[in-house]
Amino acid sequence: MDLTPNDEQIAFQTATADWCRDHMALEDARARRDGLWAELEAMGWTGLTAPGMDLDHATEALVFAELGRFLAPIGLLSTAVASRWFPDVVDGKVALALTASEPEPLRVLDPAGSGAVLRSEPGGLRLFDLPDAFTDQSGTLHTTPHAPTIDLSTLQSRHEWTSSLWTEDDPAPALHLQLLSAAYAVGCADAARDMAADYAKLREQFDRPIGWFQALKHMCSDMAVRAAAARSQLYYAACALDENAADAAFHVAAAKRLADQAALDNGRTNIQVHGGIGMTDEAAAHLPLKRAHLLQFIAPAAREALLA
Amino acid sequence: MDIGFSPEETVFREECRDWLHANVPAEKRPLDAADAVDFDKAWQRRLFDAGWAGINWPVDYGGRGLSIVQQVIWLEEYAKAHAPWIGANFVGINHGGPTLILNASEEQKAYHLPRILKGEAIWCQGFSEPGAGSDLAGIKTRGRIEGNELVINGSKIWTSFAHVADWQELVLRTEDGSLRHKGLSWVICDMHAPGITVRPIRKMSGQAEFTEVFYDDVRIPLANVVGGLGNGWKVAMSTLSFERGTGFIADQVKQSQEIEELIATARANGMIRDDRIADQLAQLRAEVAAVRAMTYRNISEVVRTGQPGPEASVIRLFTSELGQRLERMAVILMGEDIIDFAYGDDNAVADYLRGFAATIAGGTAQIQRDIIGERLLGLPKSR
Ligand SMILES: Cc1cc2nc3c(=O)[nH]c(=O)nc-3n(C[C@H](O)[C@H](O)[C@H](O)COP(=O)(O)OP(=O)(O)OC[C@H]3O[C@@H](n4cnc5c(N)ncnc54)[C@H](O)[C@@H]3O)c2cc1C
Repeated sequence: MDLTPNDEQIAFQTATADWCRDHMALEDARARRDGLWAELEAMGWTGLTAPGMDLDHATEALVFAELGRFLAPIGLLSTAVASRWFPDVVDGKVALALTASEPEPLRVLDPAGSGAVLRSEPGGLRLFDLPDAFTDQSGTLHTTPHAPTIDLSTLQSRHEWTSSLWTEDDPAPALHLQLLSAAYAVGCADAARDMAADYAKLREQFDRPIGWFQALKHMCSDMAVRAAAARSQLYYAACALDENAADAAFHVAAAKRLADQAALDNGRTNIQVHGGIGMTDEAAAHLPLKRAHLLQFIAPAAREALLA
Repeated sequence: MDIGFSPEETVFREECRDWLHANVPAEKRPLDAADAVDFDKAWQRRLFDAGWAGINWPVDYGGRGLSIVQQVIWLEEYAKAHAPWIGANFVGINHGGPTLILNASEEQKAYHLPRILKGEAIWCQGFSEPGAGSDLAGIKTRGRIEGNELVINGSKIWTSFAHVADWQELVLRTEDGSLRHKGLSWVICDMHAPGITVRPIRKMSGQAEFTEVFYDDVRIPLANVVGGLGNGWKVAMSTLSFERGTGFIADQVKQSQEIEELIATARANGMIRDDRIADQLAQLRAEVAAVRAMTYRNISEVVRTGQPGPEASVIRLFTSELGQRLERMAVILMGEDIIDFAYGDDNAVADYLRGFAATIAGGTAQIQRDIIGERLLGLPKSR
């Protein structure tokens, strides 16, 4: 039993954080530059989870928590998971569909440049074609408009249900998506905590840093507690998946539930710690909160899974 | 990272389970401290005789010299077997003994440690005073040096088990006119010495588990000072790190038992059909899992680096508040039956009322939040 990362895992973690800091700053998440996806592909982030890579879930969770800390593209989650479970068909970016039910059109997140879209269902994962444009019988060309979401770094589109592929009857694929999205939320909760703590040391009122005041200090401490609980459970869940533990589904669901809450609560608290500037578009404090509101709908933890 | 145990550890776990299965007493631990202490001592003696006391204490002092992971395995099996609460042995086993191992002289260790492990000596903790609770450095109880003795005057309060204790971790001011953290000493105080009066204080749950202790010219040999005269603050901080750290692993492990019982109760009485209750139970179950994950992470840190990471204070705070949420849920599931509570009852209501201690004793939740903000996040010190 060892729930601390080993040297190799720490190296992965550090390399990810270093790259993100230089190329994918959190502050830029309000408008990601066009070439980012190509860079992510070139750096190998998109193929990290492919079967040949043989990374364990624990290492993946560590890396995705770092990516999540910088509010990396949502499409990276779906692409990573699809590369693992549909290795023969996936080539390039895969978008993520939220669990709308037929006949409602699919809500597709991060559709730009994606040829396919991944959706998590109770029985497993489904991969749909994602034609960006199609010509109907009368010869009219339809293109799907991309609309904004609450998370400024993520666009969305609506798509009719197309033909799809299924993973085999196996809980593992859906748990993989749930684990990595929990990792994203853990990173998001960390980001909000660190932003708040940094600001509380810097900003002065009444001739002292506002972090001196217990009302603020204790809010920051609670952010640290939530982030620590979620991160520890994430590690445990990843290991449970690696060991094929009988209760792995519960542990992954618990990780997602705690990570979502930590991301939402820390996101909100971060804004209060910042005061007026915190609720502006100019400051970055709103970015983790908005990301958290999106993440809570990606592979959410079902109550039944938590009580099973 | 992995959550598996080695073959050796698995064998150890089976040994723990088998022994506990055959030996956990059928009768309940008596409620009142005075009766309970005989029970606690007898149980501790049985643990010692069978080799289950001081699993990770040094062999030289009667321990087994095994790893902290094995200690955790033992505590997990202990909780699963519904073995009795450690009770009056809490202080000696969880922080008195460990403080001595770290700071005491060879004579002090050789005398006291085996007695603690065998359940022959009950310890209590004399830190808090009427005027010094959260602000521990405000201690006023004095020890005047006379020859090779300390002459002690003053009083302590909230001292758990003082009325049944043989020894006390006593922190007092041994330097005249010293201020705050300076001039304090950590002393092994004989609770049977003349001049000590103990007044039990009844809790709102009905039991008299803690007390007020008065010292009237109590004479204690200077040889009982641990870690050197005037170094009391440093020694006391090591005591608190044990009390707030590893001392609570047992509680954390017990919570995973409690949540399963709560879910079973809610299924049996139908209250789980209430969406709000079901959701709270789901939430609690996730949080209890996180406590285990945090504990494992912390233990791994100890194994890797020799000391718990700074996140130990996070676990302590999270666990204490989670414990209270579990106790609150237990009385919610009782419904109207909570009204029937009367002193002398030892049920979920008593646990709920006693459980308020979790965010007060050993440093309040507010003090823990200060520590997390200042040591983990680097925010400026408020005090
Ligand atoms: C069941 C139980 C058993 C105990 N057993 C022992 C024992 O065996 N030995 C022993 O020595 N002590 C024992 N204690 C005492 C315990 O350590 C103290 O109660 C605790 O440290 C708080 O001190 P206080 O009670 O004086 O409260 P106070 O310090 O007066 O606190 C009152 C309130 O003010 C808050 N507060 C105080 N200072 C600050 C601050 N700086 N910032 C923000 N809020 C603050 C506190 O959080 C609390 O809410 C026990 C307590 C309990 C409840």
